[in-house]
Amino acid sequence: MIQAPAWLQILSRSAAALFGGYALSYAASACLARLLPLSPADAVIVATLPAFVFYTGAILWAFASRDAVRAWAPLALAAPLALLGFWPQALGWLA
Amino acid sequence: MKNTFTQSMAWLHTWAGLIFGWLLFAIFVTGTLAVFDKELDHWMQPEVPATEVSQADAARRAVAYLQAHEPQAGNWGISLPTERSPGLRVSTGDRRHGGGVQLDPRTGEAIEVRDSVGGNFFFRFHFTLDLPRNWGIFVVGALALVMLAALVTGIVIHKKIFKEFFTFRPNKGQRSWLDFHNASAVLLLPFHLMITYTGLVIFMLIYIPAGVDALFEGDSRAYFNAQGNARLEQPRQLARQPGQLVDVAPLLAQAEARLGPLGGLNIRNPNTAGARIEIRPELGNRIALAKGQAMVFDGVSGELLSDVPQWRAAPLTQRVMVGLHFAQFGGYPMRWLYFICGLVSCVMIASGLVLFCVKRGRKYGNGTAQASARRWYRVAEVCNVGFISGLLLACVALLWASRVLPVELAQRESWEVRTFFGVWVLALLHAGVRPARRAWVEQLLLVAVLCIGLGALGGVGDAMRVGVVLSALVMGVLLGLVAWRVGKAVPAPIRAKAGRNVEAGA
Amino acid sequence: MMMWVTGGVLFAYVGMLGLCQGLERHYKQVWQRPCPRALRVGLRGAGWLALLVSLLLCAQAWGWAMGPVAWLGAMSLSGMLLVMLLPYWPRLAVGLAAVVPVWGMVQLFG
Repeated sequence: MIQAPAWLQILSRSAAALFGGYALSYAASACLARLLPLSPADAVIVATLPAFVFYTGAILWAFASRDAVRAWAPLALAAPLALLGFWPQALGWLA
Repeated sequence: MKNTFTQSMAWLHTWAGLIFGWLLFAIFVTGTLAVFDKELDHWMQPEVPATEVSQADAARRAVAYLQAHEPQAGNWGISLPTERSPGLRVSTGDRRHGGGVQLDPRTGEAIEVRDSVGGNFFFRFHFTLDLPRNWGIFVVGALALVMLAALVTGIVIHKKIFKEFFTFRPNKGQRSWLDFHNASAVLLLPFHLMITYTGLVIFMLIYIPAGVDALFEGDSRAYFNAQGNARLEQPRQLARQPGQLVDVAPLLAQAEARLGPLGGLNIRNPNTAGARIEIRPELGNRIALAKGQAMVFDGVSGELLSDVPQWRAAPLTQRVMVGLHFAQFGGYPMRWLYFICGLVSCVMIASGLVLFCVKRGRKYGNGTAQASARRWYRVAEVCNVGFISGLLLACVALLWASRVLPVELAQRESWEVRTFFGVWVLALLHAGVRPARRAWVEQLLLVAVLCIGLGALGGVGDAMRVGVVLSALVMGVLLGLVAWRVGKAVPAPIRAKAGRNVEAGA
Repeated sequence: MMMWVTGGVLFAYVGMLGLCQGLERHYKQVWQRPCPRALRVGLRGAGWLALLVSLLLCAQAWGWAMGPVAWLGAMSLSGMLLVMLLPYWPRLAVGLAAVVPVWGMVQLFG
């Protein structure tokens, strides 16, 4: 397999950290807010407080992962989480 | 990239630390200065007297002034004299900061005070980098996230974190810089993690509005109301009928019994039947930040219309975290703890930036390496001087500008800000043309002289201003010592080799 | 309040000093001789105890909500002071512990 030049790998990982990380944090917060057995206002707060732990984790993952493609895994993980978080809205689109 | 987890984390820590460290240093310095923002406000505006007037008397005089000058206004704002802010300020309209008229609390007469951005500039710069508010908040938020990543990667790569907990070996060049960077980072780790994470929590719903989007269809007003923050309905009909304003003093006493020391009050629709008096606590009576909270009284009858609600667990948690960052609680002893911790964290960041260059100085500083690598090394060197000592120079220059610029100067506040950025740019240019070591010494010496010289600017009529000047004196002396030490130090190459031989043999 | 604050900071310093001197390399740094195991354990035990006293004094000064916050700050900053003093003035770094009985006297008779 042809290795991408170093600068492209770094760019990919940085983009994965920034955007993949945001996607994961956003989706995780939405998912938590939906699932937590609290009043909506409280759930929003409790779901958002840990968001930056996820984001930091995604940033570290982006640079620790074996290659620059795997660095985007958090973005992939964000999709099912977002679905869980937004399932009423998703059902609304489908209907 | 690098192979093992530790190696990749070390790479990330080094490069994220370098690229973003320059701005992070500025955020930490201005944040540290903002701990004493009100004290700096007071020093930068020497016309404001420090008096011992009670809040009740001051409030009465303020109301009397507003009755005489603005009886028809829709909203009166009164900032009462407090321990940190001895001035009395009145305003009309919904001004957030600045604007309004300064009154002498002893007489209730207006006093001429010079326009100044005050210590509040450091506070604003700290969370916006002086960019337009919405952009600035996001930029600083992103930087805070990088700081969090830098802290975690730093922990991960510091293998001997417990063994070397108290280790500091001076006079050994690169080894000493690393020891210091490690010690200041590890010993203050609770502070660093707390201040960074809580900083992100302040605007967390702006950064990650996912919860509001998912549960409230993105309607932030609906979310706000769900928190139980629904504003009392404005009495539009009553506001058109005239009314007699009740005496404020007993209401202040009632509010103080409930809330602790008070910060100020707003009188909406004064001199009408729909008058409302909102009394705010001084921030800091508890850790949880009480911004936005107020007891609301009827302005004609004095009846309590709305008390300060108890927070539920979730909003209380958020408020406590925000409060831990704002550091308004615990009185002056706590404020000093935060300030000194802030200073150490600034030096921690600076030592990391300097370490980057010290480590590579031998390789890229001389003629042995590639020309392009040497050029990038020079960029790092120049940025280090310009963003570390240059920023300090800009800060102290702002303080000087607040006293030196003519009082009558039009747009005085803009000129103060121009001084700040102008001096910063000059420092970067100076760093670009001077050899690194000379640039460090010259700039640090200048900062030291300007800090020590703050006292010469006069206007130190009360304890608080003396405190500002003395603190600046101490910091000036310390920076002077640093400058002297940097000037004295012998460049690394030969000594480091000798040192290493001794270490290997021991 | 200031007496409790001072006490909190002093005991934090002494606590960090105990933990520090309980480590082989730092004991050697000050006294130029190895540290018997019993003394090491004793110093570390005394160190943890002093840190606990520091927490109690901070809570006395600020209450139990704000006290722990101040305690963490006091430990961090006194640790920093210790680390800066040790390589330059090791005996002074250790000698500062003598301020504690002075503070005790002032508390008792002040």
